[in-house]
Amino acid sequence: MKTTEDWSEELSWRCAACDRPLEMGQVTVTYMENSFTTDMPRCRQCGQVLVPEGLALGKMAEVEKILEDK
Amino acid sequence: MSQYPTQSLCPICLARIPAQRVWRGQEVFLEKHCAAHGFFQTVIWKGAPAMAGWHRPKLSSRPAEAEHGAKQDCPFDCGLCPKHAQRSCTVILEVTQRCDLGCPVCYAASGPKGDDPSPAVVAGWFERLGQTSPGANIQLSGGEPTLRDDLPALVELGRRAGFEFIQINTNGLRLAREPGYAQALKNAGAASVFLQFDGVNDDVYRWLRGRALWEIKQAAVAACALAGLGVVLVPTLVPGVNTHAVGAILEAALAWYPAVRGVHFQPMSYFGRHPGRPTDSRRLTLPELMHAIETQSDGWFKVEHFRPPGCEHALCSFHAQYLLSEHGRPRPLHPLPMAGQSVAPIKAEEGARRAIDFVARQWAAPLSGSTAASGPSCACKEKIPESSNTSPKNSISLDDFLAAAQSRTFCVSAMAFQDVWNLDLERVQGCCIHVLAGDGRLIPFCLYNLTAADGRALYRP
Repeated sequence: MKTTEDWSEELSWRCAACDRPLEMGQVTVTYMENSFTTDMPRCRQCGQVLVPEGLALGKMAEVEKILEDK
Repeated sequence: MSQYPTQSLCPICLARIPAQRVWRGQEVFLEKHCAAHGFFQTVIWKGAPAMAGWHRPKLSSRPAEAEHGAKQDCPFDCGLCPKHAQRSCTVILEVTQRCDLGCPVCYAASGPKGDDPSPAVVAGWFERLGQTSPGANIQLSGGEPTLRDDLPALVELGRRAGFEFIQINTNGLRLAREPGYAQALKNAGAASVFLQFDGVNDDVYRWLRGRALWEIKQAAVAACALAGLGVVLVPTLVPGVNTHAVGAILEAALAWYPAVRGVHFQPMSYFGRHPGRPTDSRRLTLPELMHAIETQSDGWFKVEHFRPPGCEHALCSFHAQYLLSEHGRPRPLHPLPMAGQSVAPIKAEEGARRAIDFVARQWAAPLSGSTAASGPSCACKEKIPESSNTSPKNSISLDDFLAAAQSRTFCVSAMAFQDVWNLDLERVQGCCIHVLAGDGRLIPFCLYNLTAADGRALYRP
């Protein structure tokens, strides 16, 4: 699991709606009828998340490939 | 009663004739009439999920290289002609015609004698396949390929030609008897063994194979586990002979996990050497098999898990993928049923790409270390919930999922081959399992093996 240190660049963002700093927190993502939990930067107030590019192109892409039906 | 038009062959004279899929209640029949030899009817689908909702639409892809133009039209123009709608996913190379079993049931009608192509000929085949079927998975078959002492060298030839996934289709005799043989195949670059495996006691082997083989099969799996070769158990299912053993076969497969990567059921087809013209009671259709799997596995594997294929014609197969929990219980990767749903068409070549990747990933040994057959229960730290519904309490940690997907995936699948009685040319034109004939032509598996009622072959020499 990536730690907050890994997402330092993303954590420097602020939530545009709430003007609060993003914090690492557990979120649930769903893809092809499967739910996964992972930690990613999110706004504590409104719950919006920022999907780091490294996560989208890394682990998330890997999960998509595994779930890709033959 | 509704009908769907297609084409087939006369079982007697092999003339191409019109045919219909005919619905009668929950059953679907292939019906055809030859002006010279009369009417033929064969059951092709029985029960739920309904055939009408069992679809996976594809946009036709021409083979990478059509081998020639159409002359007499399908099915008389193979190698692949411009009418063919799918590229090769798996190419079967028969590296010998000899076999040390001589089973009463054999699509290749193999026996103790026959020719072996030279290594130079096999090297030429691989070179040709690099043009016609780039990136395809390869299955070395026969006859019994392990009768060739140079089989590891043939595997090396394939790997050097750029084919990453090479599987050995075998009865397991040599793997069981010769210490170090499985390791020699592994060292040469083989990824997987497609193991003839019809049941878990000797009665079924005596009926289908002519002799007791249960101990041999267990020893073959153990040898592959030790060598780190992935194993796919391949039961030929005959109603009244071993259709009651479906659950026991799945149980054995799970007990041998992770060495055994999955089970690939094949309802018996009536071509090559077989007991004679079948009645409908000697047929096992795909829905009947799905129900047998669910009933005999106490619902661990359910009908609703099974999906039509994205590569070959939808009516030719089903499959389901699972993650095994730490207690060995299968959790479906795709928990919602696909049958009956509206599915967007995909390009046939994209379906083939996915199937090639999937087979190479699932049917080889897992990447993480030993495949010693320790059974599915494990001390692994990943937590895989046993339920598959999508409520948050059944969520999986992304990292646990990725770790489990490396080492704890399991697959249950089946393929319904076609013989001269139930042949449907629409299905054949979507075929992705091709045999490389000795002269270099690619021929859909069912057509290559098809024989008329009197045993005359359409293509096999």
